[in-house]
Amino acid sequence: MDYDLSLVLPFLIKKADEILELSTEHVLVVLISLVIASIIGVGTGLLVWEKPVARSAAVATAGVILTIPSMALLTILIPIMGLGWASTVFALSIYSLLPIVRNTVVGLREVDPAVIESARGMGMSKVAVLMKIQFPIAWPVILTGLRVAAQLSVGIAAIAAYVAGPGMGAYIFKGLSMLGAANALNFALTGTVVIVIIALSFDAVFILINRLTTSRGIRV
Amino acid sequence: MSKATSGASIELTNVTKSYPNQPQSAVENFSMSINPGELIMLVGPSGCGKTTTMKMINRIIEPTSGSIKIDGEDILSLDQNILRRRIGYVIQQIGLFPHMTIAENVSVVPKLLGWDKAQIASRVEELLSLVELDPSKFANRYPKQLSGGQQQRVGVARALAADPPVMLMDEPFGATDPITREKLQDEFLRLQATIGKTIVFVTHDFDEAIKLGDRIAVLSERSQIEQFDTPANILANPASDYVSSFIGEGAALKRLALIPISSAKLSSTSATGPSVEISENLREALDHIVLNGGAPVPVTDAKGKSLGSISVKEISSALGADVSSLGIKKGK
Amino acid sequence: MSIQPAVDVSTSYSQPSDRKGRFFTAKRWGTPLLILVALTGLLVFLTVRGEPDKIESFALNWPYMAAKVDEHIRLSIAAALLVAAIAIPAGILVSRSKSKIVRGTIVGIGNIGQATPAVGVIILLALILGIGWSTAIIALVFYGLLPVIRNTMVGISQINPSVIESAKGMGMTGGQILRKIELPLAVPVILAGFRTTLVFSVGVATIATFINAGGLGEVLVVGLKLSREAVTLTGAVVVSCIALGMDWFAGLVEDLLKPKGV
Repeated sequence: MDYDLSLVLPFLIKKADEILELSTEHVLVVLISLVIASIIGVGTGLLVWEKPVARSAAVATAGVILTIPSMALLTILIPIMGLGWASTVFALSIYSLLPIVRNTVVGLREVDPAVIESARGMGMSKVAVLMKIQFPIAWPVILTGLRVAAQLSVGIAAIAAYVAGPGMGAYIFKGLSMLGAANALNFALTGTVVIVIIALSFDAVFILINRLTTSRGIRV
Repeated sequence: MSKATSGASIELTNVTKSYPNQPQSAVENFSMSINPGELIMLVGPSGCGKTTTMKMINRIIEPTSGSIKIDGEDILSLDQNILRRRIGYVIQQIGLFPHMTIAENVSVVPKLLGWDKAQIASRVEELLSLVELDPSKFANRYPKQLSGGQQQRVGVARALAADPPVMLMDEPFGATDPITREKLQDEFLRLQATIGKTIVFVTHDFDEAIKLGDRIAVLSERSQIEQFDTPANILANPASDYVSSFIGEGAALKRLALIPISSAKLSSTSATGPSVEISENLREALDHIVLNGGAPVPVTDAKGKSLGSISVKEISSALGADVSSLGIKKGK
Repeated sequence: MSIQPAVDVSTSYSQPSDRKGRFFTAKRWGTPLLILVALTGLLVFLTVRGEPDKIESFALNWPYMAAKVDEHIRLSIAAALLVAAIAIPAGILVSRSKSKIVRGTIVGIGNIGQATPAVGVIILLALILGIGWSTAIIALVFYGLLPVIRNTMVGISQINPSVIESAKGMGMTGGQILRKIELPLAVPVILAGFRTTLVFSVGVATIATFINAGGLGEVLVVGLKLSREAVTLTGAVVVSCIALGMDWFAGLVEDLLKPKGV
């Protein structure tokens, strides 16, 4: 297929407003889902990390969910939640659970038993040890889980555009639907590249958060 | 000490290792000749180049210049891998192959050399027994199922597998606890007495060097030899302040541990108290005297027959130094 | 941009497999049980609700479903095998490279690849190469390469350096060290990457329907377009079972090939 690169810039200028709006939506839907998934995922992690059966069950369930192809999940959600935001947020949230739950559990369990023992020995309660000692030490690992979840969500949100979900995925599908037309590649390429930029920005932000919120004593 | 010698001589001449971007050489003009069957200890602080020096002998590190010969043969002209199959190599981290059983670990080099199966099997059995690991129990276990001390014994057995004339050992007992270390050292001495390899042994622990070495090279920066002599001579006549500081305090006491009671002139006066066997060393005798309130103690032979007695006077004349003050200050 | 710990990515789909040696464990047999329950439930549901209507029966018949399952599995497995054939040698080569630039570039490309939406890759390729099965394969391979290359690299570089040093010290050649020490020890990590790729492939193959490459995505789309929930549900359950089954099977292979003693 012939492709005239000189057409890219005019396309971008003409569509700037729409691109901005769709990217904002994309970021927003990922953020909302991440917040929901963090509350549920970290909460679950805090509850189950010490109980072997519950722990395995939680991680295994989250693993099974993640194995389900996103197209399949999205399409069965439509009759239940309708087209658009609700289905997308729901799907992204539950896909995000595995990395978050798993990393919370792993992070909490990796804390040196000697550290926990000395905290307990100083008279801290179990909850205090968990919140004041273990959680801060596990924080970088948990944050990595969130980061992986964000990457995952940004990509899946692109597919969600097929079920009228918000975000830049719409441009990719528009490109497909215009197969053969002059602007098809412009749409698909813009959609894809912007999503890559969004994903990398999320990554960068998480690295920044990690630097700002991790105790200097455990930064690597 | 007489022992069977299956070792080879090693001759290092003006060996230098320098790295690009580093103003100073790691090893500079290192020369040393090592006799067949000799156990040479390279001692020095960390970063002095002792390990680099050793690793040039099997060319894990390639020398920048100089020559290294084993039994007169220039090893720098040999194929590295052929060379290494003839040199046993034991490192502190042991480096057992975690996915192979103990038997498989030990048989790696024989396999590389193309030995037949039966020969390898019997060799594995022989070696495991030699390092006091029951073959029927350990041969099919994996490294992670062994304790640190057991793993280190496998490391030694593996290095000995193809009966190499030369062994290189890099702080092999460094990662073990003091009790295990002492046990491994004793076993290793007994082993070396029967196999008589030429061994270059790197350590930062001077006491280990005294205990094991036939000769000790005390090294300073850039692997410069400060003194190269027998343990007794180094303790008696440290060549420089550097060597003295490395020996640390209590040199006389350390020397006592090297001198058997039989080399002291015993007193014929009878003594009471805990007796000490003639085959023990003078440090042991001094220990008994201190426990006896400073009074002389009886000396017996292996069967318990009295041979006389020993006091601080005989010990110090055997050492040629005044021990009486030492014994009280440092008698532990 | 930093290097994400590859383990996090590689095992994001896989639970640690059971190494304790017992054969019948909840972990090992939970998945097949789940698949069985899901498929039985689906069959019961379809039977209870009665004969499919005229539109539904286009998709809800055995030959059609069998054909779609066949297409889907072929597509995913072909892609995964191609990935293994390309990515493992590539990973070895990269891990051999001493140049930081080469490794950095690969990791950088890896990060961007990870950030690229699968649907973007597949549709862009379709626009450039045309629609169809071969384009889908190319997209799947492109997308699956990275986890395996990265895990091969990581698997080899995570080996304790003292193990490699003693292998060298014993006079093993570079090739012998690779075959007898590095690859066997890296197998678990490489397989974990491969498992990720396999599950990825099943998922990405679902969106291959957009470019006319068949598979179970077609069933989903048909159900969606015709507003026949039973059809969508059937497609979704079957494709999820395939993904779970592949993940389970890969886990089993992982267990079998994992060197003992590690």
